[in-house]
Amino acid sequence: MRCLIHTVARFILMSATVLPAFAQLALVDLRGNRVVHLAASGQHAVVLIFAATDCPICNRYVPEIARLQKEFGARDVAFWWVFPNPGDTEAVVRRHELDYSIHASTIIDAKQELVRMAHVSVTPEAAVFAVENGQLREKYHGRVDDLYFSFGKERPAATHHDLEDAIKAVLMGRTAIAAAHGPVGCSIVPLAVLESARR
Amino acid sequence: MSWIRPVATGCVFAVGIGASSFGVRFGVRAATAPNLITPNPTWARDVAPILYKNCTTCHHPGGAGPFSLLTYADAKRWGPQVVKVTESRYMPPWLPEPGHGDFADNRRLPDADLVLLKKWFEAGMPEGDAKAAPAAPVYDTTWQMGKPDLILKQAEPFTLPAGGTDVFRNFVFPYPLKDGHYIRAMEIRPGAPQVVHHANVLIDRTGSFRRQHPSRWRAGIPGMEILLDAGNTFDPDSHFLFWKPDTPALVEPEGMPWRLDAGNDLILNIHLKPSGKAETIDAEIGLYFTDKPPVKQPMLLQLDRDDALDIPASDKDFTVEDELTLPVDVEALGVYPHAHYLGKDMQAWATLPSGEKKWLVWIRDWDIDRQAVYRYTEPVQLPKGTVLHMRYVYDNSQANPRNPHDPPVRVRAGNRSEDEMAHLWLQVLPVDADPNAPDPRLRLEETWMRNRLRHTPNDRVSLYNLGAALAGEGKFAEAVPEFQQVLAAAPGDAETLTALGAALDGAGDWQGARTALVQVVGSLSAEKQQVCDARFDLASLDLRHEGLETAKSELNAELSACPRDAEAHELLARTDAQAGDLEGAEKELRETARLKPDAPQVHSELAQVLGQAGKLEPAIAEQQAALKLAPDDADGWNNLGVLEARIGKTQDARGDFEHALKLQPDHAQARANLARLAR
Repeated sequence: MRCLIHTVARFILMSATVLPAFAQLALVDLRGNRVVHLAASGQHAVVLIFAATDCPICNRYVPEIARLQKEFGARDVAFWWVFPNPGDTEAVVRRHELDYSIHASTIIDAKQELVRMAHVSVTPEAAVFAVENGQLREKYHGRVDDLYFSFGKERPAATHHDLEDAIKAVLMGRTAIAAAHGPVGCSIVPLAVLESARR
Repeated sequence: MSWIRPVATGCVFAVGIGASSFGVRFGVRAATAPNLITPNPTWARDVAPILYKNCTTCHHPGGAGPFSLLTYADAKRWGPQVVKVTESRYMPPWLPEPGHGDFADNRRLPDADLVLLKKWFEAGMPEGDAKAAPAAPVYDTTWQMGKPDLILKQAEPFTLPAGGTDVFRNFVFPYPLKDGHYIRAMEIRPGAPQVVHHANVLIDRTGSFRRQHPSRWRAGIPGMEILLDAGNTFDPDSHFLFWKPDTPALVEPEGMPWRLDAGNDLILNIHLKPSGKAETIDAEIGLYFTDKPPVKQPMLLQLDRDDALDIPASDKDFTVEDELTLPVDVEALGVYPHAHYLGKDMQAWATLPSGEKKWLVWIRDWDIDRQAVYRYTEPVQLPKGTVLHMRYVYDNSQANPRNPHDPPVRVRAGNRSEDEMAHLWLQVLPVDADPNAPDPRLRLEETWMRNRLRHTPNDRVSLYNLGAALAGEGKFAEAVPEFQQVLAAAPGDAETLTALGAALDGAGDWQGARTALVQVVGSLSAEKQQVCDARFDLASLDLRHEGLETAKSELNAELSACPRDAEAHELLARTDAQAGDLEGAEKELRETARLKPDAPQVHSELAQVLGQAGKLEPAIAEQQAALKLAPDDADGWNNLGVLEARIGKTQDARGDFEHALKLQPDHAQARANLARLAR
């Protein structure tokens, strides 16, 4: 019976994933300006890449994300890098984007609101939303691909490109298929950990 | 004669076994010792000591690890990962199974540490009393061992792309000094340590790799494995010059330095993993010299079954085995297993003549990214007759996440990362050798090559090296058919013909030797250096059998092609001296001394020639130059005494003879000369 309960809970979570109006969220870009719209007019999908400047696995994915952005950016898909960790301030992320030649829209998710809404837990992890009637509905969250099969252990090359498949599915109006395994990466630092636990 | 050898580089071997019963016996439990773990672990008291001892050598700012673990804030930031990767034993990197080889620098964390780290994490990663924490280790941002005696720099920086697959590249570092040096330690600073997975340093005694790639070596040559020409003397690879991120400085044991001579190159065979941004590899190699020559001569011995690697697609338990019986007593000092991405379970063990089994290494979950050389805490004693075994299992199924092919394809041995390898390198030190017998490493080389030929009977490199080993041991007649077999496959090969000439000469067939050497000399396809080598050997032969004039004309012909060949000038000088042409001999010896200024015997010979010509003052100067280079040469002091006595410097001569006798009390000539002075 435990299995059934789990399935129901997941269903509820998934169906509830519609992002609220962005004006209510504390999202800022790298200049400190509030981000109000994730999708510009005419865009069909939004991809969030949750990242951390100090996560080696995350950084390893920079070229792959750039490839996807190049391919799908031209097809009306919005790409955002989202930095949710407390240490990733605007200045730190700006430096990182210079170092890694990242040319993309970026959000500092200081209160980890997007983390919760997209149900992500590690970096790198992706979330894909379809733009439906002016609302963003989550269609996929999980790994970018299966390059890593556990922390630090990787294949010579990825064999399943889950994020790419999910974006294609959303653009064709199909259901995105959940990845066979969860994402491998660096845990997103919970805000609670900020409060030092002294004994 | 040249030695050609396959060289251990980026890859090496895999031992294998399927489901085996070597694990748990008689209900013995792992030593978790949970009762020793403090109930409320804190970073300051419990966690920091573990991190400082096991992690921060790489995980410090600027270190090879991708992040630092030096502070409490660092530990808290990475706490979840630390627990995950220590529990899975991904970190610290350590592949060998406990209890199957006792290794120095064992990096496997005790089970108790894993439990402690997990408890600390579950308790919310408390800091504890920060003042009670041990002082964080300090890591030098430059050379770990201080300024090296010599720093070699990469010829051109290499840019590793931001993404893509792993890169295997070979950078050449020419040794720039005219003098040879013994190397007691080496440190590599790769420029971007976080992208360098491991590196092997190879010694190219003849600059052969640079010659193979004259226009491209400066930019580095791609490839996992390379083949080097080891030159005219038996000088087997002897040290694992292996670098990995947590051991930037490689310090050799006392009495076991390695050597670099003028004309040698170091080749940095490096495995790079893209990081997400373009990285510059601009490596430096720091060398630390010692004046003390080696008193121990180890050798790298290899078991290898590349020939048997033909792994069907989807086969998840493909097994290869090899064994080699040791011809002499040795101590094993270290082991380096190697396979590529399909290697799974890798075992190596020794069966002693007594029947006792000694594990050399067992890796249950091979990972090419974590390959390393493992050095034994104490040398493993392996008496003559011991059988070395390797057993490697490969998984070419889709279930192997490291399989580079999707879907799997048939895989054979090869140099590319998607090919496979089955190598086991062992560093052995011959012990209890007969000092009057040939170098015991020649016996090891002979056995190794015979073993390779058991698997691949026509392998030219093995046949050639076997012939060379036999010749080195003085078994010239046995060496001849090995070289002849090489020539059957490669008719007219100049290097082999020259080696055959030397072997035939040693076996007493000087006419046969001459025929082989003449064939090289007349060859249109042979390289200039090979023709020079053959002409030199031919001249030596002719000097003994055909007369001075023939030898002299061969040497003159050689020197017109290879004017910087010091040995040829020296031999020509001897030829001239034998013919009574002291002026010619002096001229040739002066040229030899110019080319080899640090060779004492050249100055000594020059002193003799000058002395015979009556040029006593310059003869004395040359003899003194020789003794400056070799002050313990009793013959040299005696010869100096004779020269000085001839110009009437009796007191000086007396001192020289006495010095010779002090160095060698039974030096009969010095004693007789001293007696003659007294009269």
